[in-house]
Amino acid sequence: MRQVSERALDAASAAGASYADCRVVNRTVQKITVKNGVVAALERFEDEGVGIRVIVDGAWGFASVDRLDGVSVETATRHAVQIARASSRVNRVAVQLAPAPPLTGVYRTPVTRDPFSVSLDDKVNLLLRTDEAMAHLPQVRIRECSLEFVREERHFASSEGARLDQTIIESGGGLDATATSDDEVQTRSFPNSFGRHQVCAGWEAIEAFDLPGNAGRIAEEAVALLSAPICPAGTMTVILDATQAALQVHESCGHPTELDRALGHEAAYAGTSFLTPDLLGTFRYGSEHVTMTADSTRAPGLGTFGWDDEGVAAQRSVLVNQGIFTGYLSSRETAAAIGQLSNGTMRADGWSRLPIIRMTNVNLEPGTSSLEEMIATTERGVYLETNRSWSIDDRRLNFQFGTQNGWEIVDGKRTRLVRNPIYSGQTPDFWRSCDAVAGPGEWQMLGVVNCGKGQPSQSMHVGHGAAPCRFRNVKVEPAR
Amino acid sequence: MSRDDELLEAGDKALARLEAGDAEVVIVDETSELTRFAGNEMHQSVAQTSRSVRVRLIDDGRIGVGEVRGFGEGAVGRALQAADESRRVTTSPDVPPLPAPDHRADGPVAFAAATAAATPELRAGLVSIVTGTARSHDINAYGALSTSTRTTAIVTTAGVRRAATATQASFVSVARGDDGGGYASRHAADIDALDVDGLAAEVVDTCERNQRATAIDPGEYEVVLSPYAVTDLLEHLGWVGFSALATQEHRSFMRMDERLMSDLVTIRDDPTASDIFPFPFDAEGVSTQAVHLIDRGVCAGVVYDTPTALRDGVTSTGHSLPQPNTWGPLPRHLAMDAGATPWKDMVSSVSRGLYVTRFWYVRDVHPLRTVITGMTREGTFLIEHGRITRPVKDLRFTQSIVEALAAVAEVSRERRLELGEGESGVLAPWLHINRFTFSS
Repeated sequence: MRQVSERALDAASAAGASYADCRVVNRTVQKITVKNGVVAALERFEDEGVGIRVIVDGAWGFASVDRLDGVSVETATRHAVQIARASSRVNRVAVQLAPAPPLTGVYRTPVTRDPFSVSLDDKVNLLLRTDEAMAHLPQVRIRECSLEFVREERHFASSEGARLDQTIIESGGGLDATATSDDEVQTRSFPNSFGRHQVCAGWEAIEAFDLPGNAGRIAEEAVALLSAPICPAGTMTVILDATQAALQVHESCGHPTELDRALGHEAAYAGTSFLTPDLLGTFRYGSEHVTMTADSTRAPGLGTFGWDDEGVAAQRSVLVNQGIFTGYLSSRETAAAIGQLSNGTMRADGWSRLPIIRMTNVNLEPGTSSLEEMIATTERGVYLETNRSWSIDDRRLNFQFGTQNGWEIVDGKRTRLVRNPIYSGQTPDFWRSCDAVAGPGEWQMLGVVNCGKGQPSQSMHVGHGAAPCRFRNVKVEPAR
Repeated sequence: MSRDDELLEAGDKALARLEAGDAEVVIVDETSELTRFAGNEMHQSVAQTSRSVRVRLIDDGRIGVGEVRGFGEGAVGRALQAADESRRVTTSPDVPPLPAPDHRADGPVAFAAATAAATPELRAGLVSIVTGTARSHDINAYGALSTSTRTTAIVTTAGVRRAATATQASFVSVARGDDGGGYASRHAADIDALDVDGLAAEVVDTCERNQRATAIDPGEYEVVLSPYAVTDLLEHLGWVGFSALATQEHRSFMRMDERLMSDLVTIRDDPTASDIFPFPFDAEGVSTQAVHLIDRGVCAGVVYDTPTALRDGVTSTGHSLPQPNTWGPLPRHLAMDAGATPWKDMVSSVSRGLYVTRFWYVRDVHPLRTVITGMTREGTFLIEHGRITRPVKDLRFTQSIVEALAAVAEVSRERRLELGEGESGVLAPWLHINRFTFSS
C-alpha cells in the first residue's frame, strides 16, 4: 500500500498539485441471510482500490481506480489534477485548509475473536437456530435474520507527511419477524430495525446479542401487534427506547451539526442546517438534560477509528452542552472557514469516494434517571420502541418518526401494547422538552448502517450512544 | 474488440475454470465522473474507474456468491474462490435453477458516445451555464452534473451470454436566494441532449418566485404535483407493491383486477422504452419486458424474477436484481401514461390549492396502505382562483399513495424523465389531485 501511495503523491507533485493525499483501501464483507428456514444469501465481497485527492490552482480534484499498478495509479492521479484544473478555471475562491499535524501510526479495532476466523457453519447454524425460534407462529409469514462482517484495511498518506495504517473490523447481526393478517402487516426487529445492529467489535458482539434467545419473544410481539389497538392520538408524554433515541439523535443532532451542511456545501442534495454558525455557543438547542458529543474514541461504535480520512486524530467534541449548541462536526476546509481546527470527521465510503464530513459516534450522554422511573412518573403517555419510519426536512427541523410498537402509559404504569404509532415535532422544541435521560446502566452504543449523503451517493456506518429518554407535550398519532 | 466482447470473453474464461455445478458470471466495467458545485463554485469533482466480477455457483442445493472489485487480473480467481467457500454450506434442496436463454433479440440500450467521452472541461462548461445564470440574478446555484458509462456482461453455464453498454448523464440543481430556493433537473442517456439552458432558466425562475414564503395551515388541499414530486409516488409504489414477492408475501396493496385508482391512471414498467433508459436484460440475463401494473385504475400485474415466477407458475418478466436476494424483483423503468391536459393549464382549474415542485425525504409509514410521509422542498406555491399567488413555507405530508391516485382529476400531456431516490428511471407527468393531506 505504501508503494502505491508514494507513487501517487510523487505523480501529484510532478503534475503541479500544491496538496495531495492518497487512500489505499482493501475491504472484505461477508453477508449471510436466512429467510424462512433457508439460507437465502451467502456472499463474500472483496474490494480494493486507491483514491487520490489533490488541490491544484486552489481547486479540488479527485480520481479513483481499482488497479494498484504504477501506470494505473499515475493515470488516475493525473486525472485528478485535470479535474482540479477544470474547476479552477471557473472558481473564484481558492480552497484553504486549517493546519493539521502530519501524523504517523497504526490502529486496529480491538476484538476478542476475529469474526472472519469463525466458521461458516457456526454462523449459519446460529441463524438457523434463530429462525427456528420464530417458526412456531404461523402468522409470522416472513422470518429473516442475518449476519454481516467487515474488515477494512486503510492506508493514508499525504504530501504533508502523514503516513497512517488502520484495520477496522465490524460485526453485525439481527432478526426481523413479519406477521400478516388480512388487513395488517407488522414487523418486529431485534436488536435494531432494518436488519441488524452493528459495532466495531469481533464475534463476541454477536454472541452478546443472543439472537436465538430473543427470537421467540420478538416473533410473539409481531403477532400481538396484528390485533393490538391503534396508538392513541393527542399531545402527550413520549418515552423513547435507546434505539429510537439513537435515530432521533442521528437525524436531529448529527446531521444539523455537520459544518459542510451549515456552510451550504450539501444544499443540492442532503440540505443545509438550522444550526448556522452565528448560533454557535449561544443557541438553546435542548434542555439542561441534553448533552451530545461526537466521540470517535468510544468503542465499540461504528464511528470509532484512529484517524479520519484526512489524517486528523480521533477525538471527543461536545456538540451540545447541557442544552447549548457548542460545536460542529468539521473538516480541515470547513473548520478553516469558521476559524477553527478540524475535529476529525472526514470519512469516505471506500476508496472510490471523496471524504466528506460524516458522523463518527454522535452520542446522547447518559443522565441520572431510569426507564422505570420515567414510566412511574408519567401520568399519560406512550413508550415507543424500535424505529419503523423516519423523515425530516432539509434543515433538520420538522421531523416525523414511526416506531414498530408502543406501550400506553396511564398513571405511572405501562398498560397495553398499541400499534402504528408516529410522533412529530420541531427539533429544538422537542429537545427542550426533554426532562429525563436514563443513566449509564441503560446507555447503549447503537448505530446506523445506511446513512446516505453526498453526490455521488455515499453510505456510511455511524455510531450513536443513547439511553431511554422522556419528552413532554409531543404530538402523537397512529399511522392511518 | 469492443468492451462488450472483451467482458464476454472474460466471462467465458471464468466459466472454463469451473470444476463442477452451474455458474453465473457477471462482469461490470464502470467509469463515472461527477462535477459538483456549491455557492456557484465547483467544490467536489470526482472520477471513478472500476471492474467488478460477481460469481454465483450452484451445486447440489448449495449456492455461493463471491464478488470482487479491484485486484486486476486476479479478480476472477478471487471471485470464484469466494463463491466456492460460501457454497460449502448447504442452503436449500430446491434452489431455483439458472434461467435458460430466452433467445429474444436485444431491445434498445441507452447509449450515447458523447456521454462516454465527456471530459471534466465539458462538465465544467455546462455547470458554468447554471452558475453564470444564477450569478447574473444575484443568487447561488448548487448541484451536480454526472456522466457514467457502464458495460454489463453475463455468461452462465445454462447458455446465457449477453452484454450491453449504457450511458447516463444527469444534471441536478438547487438555487438559493436570501429567503427561498428552487429546484430543477434533467436526465438523458446523451449529455448533448440535456437541456442545460432550460434547467438554468427553470431553477432560477423557481428560486426567484419562491422568496419570502409565508406559512400556511396544514390540512387537506387540492394539489398540482410536478413530475419531480410524482416520481416519488411512483417509485415508492414500486418498492412496496409492484413486486411479485410482495404479493406472494401478502405485504402488497395490489389486488388483481380490482379498481384502486382513478381511471386516468395507467402505470407501466418498461425497460424496453427508448425514453426510460432502456436496457435489454436483467441481472439473471433474462430479456426485459414491459409490464402493465395499473391499467386505467385497475391492478393489472406485477414484475417477476425467476424465483417468484417459478412460485406462481409463470415466466420471469426480466426484473431480477442480482440473485439470490431477499428483496425480490423491482420495477426500475416506471412510466405513467400521459393525459390530455397541458400542464400549464392545470392550475387554472384549481380554486384553492397548492403547487408542489418536489418532495424530500419520503419514507414509507405503512407499506400495506401505501402511506408515506415527507416534506415539500424548494418551490411550494399557493393556488387561488386558478392562478399561483404566492410561495408558502414547506409542509409535511402524510398520505396514502393509492388514495391520492384515486383522487386524480387531471394528468398532463407532457412528461419528464426523472431519476428517483433509488435511481430508477421514471417517466412522470404533472398530476392534478383533488385531495392530498399535509400533516404539519
